[in-house]
Amino acid sequence: MRKLLKLAVLAMFYSALPTLLWAQISVTGTVTDANNNPLAGVSVKLKNSNIGTATDAAGRFSITVPSKGGELEISSVGYKTQTIKANSNSYALSVKLVEDVGRLDEVVVTGLATSVKRRNLANAVATISNRDLAGTAPAQTFDAALNGKVPGALINANSGAPGGGISVKLRGVTSFFGNTQPLFVVDGVFLDNTATPAGLNFVTAAARGGNSSNQDNPSNRIADLRPEDIENVEILKGASAAAIYGSKAAAGVVIITTKRGRSGRTRVSVSQDIGFVKARKFLGTRTFTEATAEDLGGSNAARRAAIKAEFNAAKAAGKIFDYEKEMYGQTGLTRNTNVSVTGGNERTSFFFSASQKDEQGIIKRTGYRNNSVRLNIDHRISDNVKIGVATNYINSSADRGLTNNDNNSVTFGVALSSTPGFTDLHADALGNYPNNSYSSSNPIQTRDLMTNNEAVDRFMTGVTLDAIFQKSEKSITRFVGRGGFDFYNFKTTALFPNELQFQAVNQGTSIQGFAKNLNTNFILSLVNNFNASENLALTTSAGITQENGDFDNILNIATKLVAGQTNVDLGSALTATQLRNKFQDNGIFFQEEATIMDAITLTGGVRFDRSTNNGDAEKYYIYPKAGVSWNLTRMDFMKNSFFDNLKVRAAYGQAGNFPAPGSKFAIMSIFNIGGNTGLLPNTLRGTPTIKPERTSELEAGVDFSLLKSKLNFSFTVYEKKISDFLLQRPTAGSTGFANEFVNAGDLRNRGVELSLNAQPVSNKDIRWNTVVNFWLNRSKVTKLNIAPVQLGVFGTSLGTFKIEEGKSATQIVGTDGNPDVAVPLGDAEPKFQMNWFNEITFLKNFSLRFLLHWKNGGDNINLSELLTDLGGTSPDYDDPTKNGTSKKGPDRLAQFFSGSARGFVQDASYLRLREIGLYYTFTNMPVNFIKGLRVGISANNYFTSTKYRGYDPEVSNFGTGFSTNVDVMPYPASKRATFHLLVDF
Amino acid sequence: MKKIVNIYIAGLALLSVSLPSCKKEIGSLNGPSLEQLSKNPSRLELNTVVVGTEAGMRNNLDFYLDATGVIGREMYRFAGSEPRYTTDLLGAGSSTLNNNTFYLTNSWNSRYRVVKNCNILIQGATNSTSVSAAQKKGYTGFAKTIKAYELLLNLNLTYINGVRIDVENPDNLGPFMGYPESLTAIAGLLDDAKADLTGADIVFKLSSGFGAYTDAAGLIKFNRALAARVAVYRQQWAPALTALNESFFDLNGSFNNGVFHVYSTGPNDQLNLAFVGQNQNGEIRVAHPSYAADILAGDDRIGKATLRAQAASQNGLTSNRDVWVYRSSTDPIPIVRNEELILIYAEAKVQLNQLPDAVVAINRIRTSHNLAAYAGAVTQAALATEMLYQRRYSLYFEGHRWVDIRRYGLLNQLPIDRAGDDVWDRFPRPLTEGN
Repeated sequence: MRKLLKLAVLAMFYSALPTLLWAQISVTGTVTDANNNPLAGVSVKLKNSNIGTATDAAGRFSITVPSKGGELEISSVGYKTQTIKANSNSYALSVKLVEDVGRLDEVVVTGLATSVKRRNLANAVATISNRDLAGTAPAQTFDAALNGKVPGALINANSGAPGGGISVKLRGVTSFFGNTQPLFVVDGVFLDNTATPAGLNFVTAAARGGNSSNQDNPSNRIADLRPEDIENVEILKGASAAAIYGSKAAAGVVIITTKRGRSGRTRVSVSQDIGFVKARKFLGTRTFTEATAEDLGGSNAARRAAIKAEFNAAKAAGKIFDYEKEMYGQTGLTRNTNVSVTGGNERTSFFFSASQKDEQGIIKRTGYRNNSVRLNIDHRISDNVKIGVATNYINSSADRGLTNNDNNSVTFGVALSSTPGFTDLHADALGNYPNNSYSSSNPIQTRDLMTNNEAVDRFMTGVTLDAIFQKSEKSITRFVGRGGFDFYNFKTTALFPNELQFQAVNQGTSIQGFAKNLNTNFILSLVNNFNASENLALTTSAGITQENGDFDNILNIATKLVAGQTNVDLGSALTATQLRNKFQDNGIFFQEEATIMDAITLTGGVRFDRSTNNGDAEKYYIYPKAGVSWNLTRMDFMKNSFFDNLKVRAAYGQAGNFPAPGSKFAIMSIFNIGGNTGLLPNTLRGTPTIKPERTSELEAGVDFSLLKSKLNFSFTVYEKKISDFLLQRPTAGSTGFANEFVNAGDLRNRGVELSLNAQPVSNKDIRWNTVVNFWLNRSKVTKLNIAPVQLGVFGTSLGTFKIEEGKSATQIVGTDGNPDVAVPLGDAEPKFQMNWFNEITFLKNFSLRFLLHWKNGGDNINLSELLTDLGGTSPDYDDPTKNGTSKKGPDRLAQFFSGSARGFVQDASYLRLREIGLYYTFTNMPVNFIKGLRVGISANNYFTSTKYRGYDPEVSNFGTGFSTNVDVMPYPASKRATFHLLVDF
Repeated sequence: MKKIVNIYIAGLALLSVSLPSCKKEIGSLNGPSLEQLSKNPSRLELNTVVVGTEAGMRNNLDFYLDATGVIGREMYRFAGSEPRYTTDLLGAGSSTLNNNTFYLTNSWNSRYRVVKNCNILIQGATNSTSVSAAQKKGYTGFAKTIKAYELLLNLNLTYINGVRIDVENPDNLGPFMGYPESLTAIAGLLDDAKADLTGADIVFKLSSGFGAYTDAAGLIKFNRALAARVAVYRQQWAPALTALNESFFDLNGSFNNGVFHVYSTGPNDQLNLAFVGQNQNGEIRVAHPSYAADILAGDDRIGKATLRAQAASQNGLTSNRDVWVYRSSTDPIPIVRNEELILIYAEAKVQLNQLPDAVVAINRIRTSHNLAAYAGAVTQAALATEMLYQRRYSLYFEGHRWVDIRRYGLLNQLPIDRAGDDVWDRFPRPLTEGN
C-alpha cells in the first residue's frame, strides 16, 4: 500500500515539474475604483493556477507568470471581478473595478473543495464580511456579532454574562435534543462548540425541580474566536446548501475563513478600543410602606412586628437600599487591543495577529478576558502546489457570577427576589456579613466571596494543501487536502467559601472541573475542472472525510473545606464525576457541477456517512443534493433588458444529525452507600437501534438587479422536512428509566426570506448603501409516533413546550384554570424578523453605520416575575390593576394560584438598534510612517423598544438547547459604548 | 492517458490511507453495560447491584417526605424559588396535584429505578453461573424485599390509583392494579422473599443501616417488619401480629432498633436532604402549627419541632417551629423501626379488641415520651384515636401521618389553613405512565 502512495506523490510532483522549469515573465499594474482611488488588498490571480498576489496600499501589484501568459483574475469583495489578458507585453496594467452592490461576483463555497460565484449560486447563502461582523460596533463575542445579520436565523443571547452564551437556530427548529446548533468550520477545521457546565448545580440544585436540563449558564466554545481575525463568514442555512457536509449539517453550517497574508510590503495595523458596559435596563424595586412591609410577615403577629420594626428602623436611619442597582449597577470598563502584521513575498505570505480583550461585567467581580495569537502562513511550493497553515492559540477567562434558576435560593436573582430593600445585607466593620432573614443566602455576600470562573486554553490548526497535478488546455485536476485539529483544555472553578450563609451545611464548597477535548478532521478530495467547450464547463469533485472527537470531563466537588482554602484535597468530603464522549465519523462524497453558457448551473452530489454514534456503526447513510440556477440575463434574449441580472434558482438536499454520543447504550451509574460500591441503572435508557435524523430541504428563489445594479433584490422560499427526528422523551417512570432517545416523528419548517440591497445615493459627497432583510419561519410537527411530549421547562402549571402532532414545534402550553388540561398559550417562534443595515459615507471621511433589528412576536416564559411576585418585591407589586379592583402583584399571584400559567407567557417582540458606529478616516497623515488612521465611536444595544417585562427579551435559562426563551433570574443584558482607534503602519 | 492513470492512483492512495484507521464501534465509555449485569454476572458484580439498590432507595426520598408531610399537614415546605409546595400540595385556590410535577415524578421514578435494579439483580442472580443456589436465594430474597418496599412507597402516593407491579419488560409493562390488589401483590412479594431468604447464604455486604440484620435471619426479621406494616394497611390484624413475632419487634426494646437509610460524605454517597438547620431562611421545613397546638403537655416529642428565633411565613402560611427530626446531614432516616412495630402491635390489638394488650403497648410509648399512663376510656374507638395520636408524634416526618389518617378515613379532620385549601387523598398517576 505504501508503495502506491509513494507512486502517487511522485506522480503529483512529476506532473508539477515541467511548469516549474518554464521561463517566467513579470506583470505589474495598478487597481483603482471608479473614482481613481487606489484599492488595496485586491486579489490578483492567474487563472487555472495557484499563482496569486494582492495589491498594496497604493493599489499596485506585481506578479510572475509563465512566459506564455494567461488570464489574470482581479477580484475584491464588494467589487465586480475582472479578467484581463497578460502576456510578455503587459506592464503597468491599469484596472478599474466597478462596485458590486449586489455582491454577485462574490465567491461562495458550495462543496467541500469547490466554490461558485454568487451570480450562479442555487442557494441563498448569507455571507458576513469582517466589516459586517465587527466593523460597526463590536459585540461581546463572535457569535453575538452575528445577531440580526443573518436572514433566516434566530439568534438568541442566553444571558448577559461576560463570556457570552448564544443560541443559533437556522431556518427554524431542526432538532429537539441537545444539538440544535449549526456546525462551525474554521479554515477547514470542525470546531467543538460544547457548552460544558461548571457543576454549579451541586450548589443551586436547579435541576432538582423536575428538569434535568443544564441550568449552569455555561458559555459555548465558539465564543473563543476573535472577530478581528475573521475575513468572512458564510452561512449555509439548510440541507440544500450543506448536504455535502452530510450528517453534521442538519442545523446548517457556518463556514469561517480567517484572514490570510498578502505579499508585498509588510503592513502593521494596531487597533485599540476602549469603552464601558452598563445594565441595559433596571426593572426597579418595590417601594415599601410600613403596612406593606408588615404584610411580608404573613399572619404571624411576632413576625409582622419584627418586620415592621426593621422597616421603621431602616427608614429612620435612611438605610433603604436599592439592591438591584447595587447588584447590577456596575459600569464595567472594556478594552480591546489588536495588533496584526501581514506581508510576504510571491511565494510565502503571512498573517499574524495578537489581541487582548478585557471586559468587566455589570455585576462586581464578573468579567471576561481573552488573549489570542494567530499565525496564518501560505506558501507556494511550486506554481502548482501551495500549502496554507492557520494556527490560533486562545487563552480566555470568564468570571460569570451566580445567576439563573436555582432551588436553594442562592443565585443573585433568586435571593434578591424575596429580599426587601429595608433589610441590611452589608458587611460590618469587621467584614462580617449579616444573615439574610428573607432568603437562604445573602446575595451581596455571595457576590463578594464566591467565584465562578471558566478558563480556556485552546489551540487550533488547519492545514490546506492544494496541488495541481494535471493541466491541459481544457482540463485541470487538483488535489485538495484540508484538515486540522481543535484542542482545548477547559477549567471551571466554582468556589463557595465557608462564610457564606448557605454553606452552613456544606461548610465550604469547591467545584473544579477539567475538560479536555480534541477534535480532528480531514477532507481529501480530487477536483477536476473540464472546459468541454465555450458553453460547457464541468467541475467534478470526489473525496473522503473523517472526523474524530474525544471529550473527557472530570468534575471534582469538595466540601467541608479548610477555611480560606480552595484545593479539592483541603476538605473532608470529595466527590468526583467523569464523562467521556468519543466518536468517529466517516464520509465519502462526490459532486458534479456543470455551467452551461455561463448562465445555467447544475449541481448534483451525494454523500455517504457513517458514525460510531449510530445504533449501527457500520451502516452508511446516503445524503443526496441537487441544484439548478439559471441566469436569464446571460441569455441572448434577455441581454440589454430592464434587468441587469435576473436569476431563478432551486436546490434540494438532505443532511443528517447524528444521535448524541452514548445514546445507544444502557449503562449503570455509580451509587455508593456506607463505603460500599454500588450500581444503579442510568436514568437514560439506551436505544440500540438509534439512527440519525434526516433533514431534506427544498429551496427556490429569484434574484434580480435593476438600475445598473444599484438595486438588488432576492426572494427565497424553503421547505425543510425533518424525518425520524430524535426526541429525548420521558419514559414511563415504572420502566425504571426517566428518559430515552427515540426517532419520534416528522417535522416541517417553511419560510420566506426577502432581501433588498440598494445604493440610493452615490455621488462625490455622499454614498449610501442600505440593506433590508425580512424573514419568517413556521414549523409544524407533521407526524408523531408517540404520545405528545412536554419538553423542557418546569411543567404545565408554569408553562412548557409541548411536541404535538399538527402543532408548531415551538408551541408553549400551560394550564389555564383547569389543572388537568394544558392549553396553547403561545409560541417561541417569532411572527417575522426584519433588519435594516445602513452605511452612509459623507464629507469624504465620515462613515456612519447602523443596524436595526426587529423581532416581531415570539413568546418567552417569564418566571422571574413570578419569583419577585412571590417574594413581594416586584416593582409594580402595589400598582393598581387596570380595572382598579386589585393590585398587580397580588392579582398575578391570584391568577397563578387559580391554576393559570397564562401570565408567564409574554410577548418578547423587540425593536433594537443593535449597532451604531460613526468613524472618521484621516486622509492627511500626521507623520509619514503612518499609512492609515481611523477613529470612531460606537454603541451596542443602546436603544431597545419592547413590552417584555424582564431584563431583556433575549434570554435562555437552559442555555443553547431546544428550550430557549425561558427567563429565570438571568444575568441582565448590557449595553456597550466604545471608542475606537485604528492605525496602519 | 498517463494523467488519468495518475488520478486513479492518487484516488486509490487516498482511500487506502484512510480505511485502516476506521473504527467501527467504540463502546460505552461511561459505565458498565446493563445487559452484562443481567446476563451472567459474577458474584462481585451482583454485590455492586445490591449496594446500588440500597443506595438508590435514598434517591429523592426528601421529595417523598415533603409530599406526604405537607399533604398530611405535618409541616410546611417553604422555598423561595419553588411555589408549588405551598400551592399544589395544599390545594391553594383551585390548584391541584399535577401529574407531571417534581413532587410526584422525582420520587416515583426513583422508586421504580430501584425496582428495576432489583429486577436486574433477580435476573442476574438467576442467570449467574458463578453463585451457588443458596447464594442465589440470598440475592433474590433481598431484591424482592426491597422491591416490595419501594412499590409500597409509590402506592402510598397514588393510593387507589394503584401501581404497576410487573415492570420487568420496559417495552411491555404490566397494568396498574387497584389499591387492594397492589397491596396483596406487595404482601405476596414479601412472602416470596421470606421463602427465598429461608436457608439462603448471604454473600453481599450491606451498610451499617441494616444494623444486626444483614444475615439471612436478620433480613427475614426486616422482611417481616415490612410485612407487618403491609398487613395493617390491609387490615389483616392477626397476620400482622404473626409477622411482628417473626420480626425484630420488641415491646420493651429500643425504639430505634431497626433498619435505616444511612448517609455520609463519602465519594458518590449521599447526604440526608431532609435535614435543614435550625433558624434558616428561604429553603426550609417548618412544623405545621397544629403540631404544637395538639400536643399533650409534657410530651417530649415537642423536641421534633423546635421554636424558631423568628417565625417564617410564605404565601399566607406561618410557623414558628422548625422541623427538627433529622439533626445533621448524615442523620439516618428510618425504613422501619421498633417504635412503629410497637404501634402496629397496639393497632392490631385494638382492632382485634384485645384492649388490655393495646393499652400496654400504648403506655410503653407514652411513658417513654414523658407522658402519664393512658387514663382514657378503654374502648376500641378511644384507643384507636389514642393510637393515631401516638403514631402522629412518634413517626413525625417519617412519611406516615398522611397514610394513617387516610386509612382511618379521617382526612377531613386535617386542618385547613387558608380558605379554599384542599386535603388530597392521592396523587394522580404520573403523566408518563399514560394513565
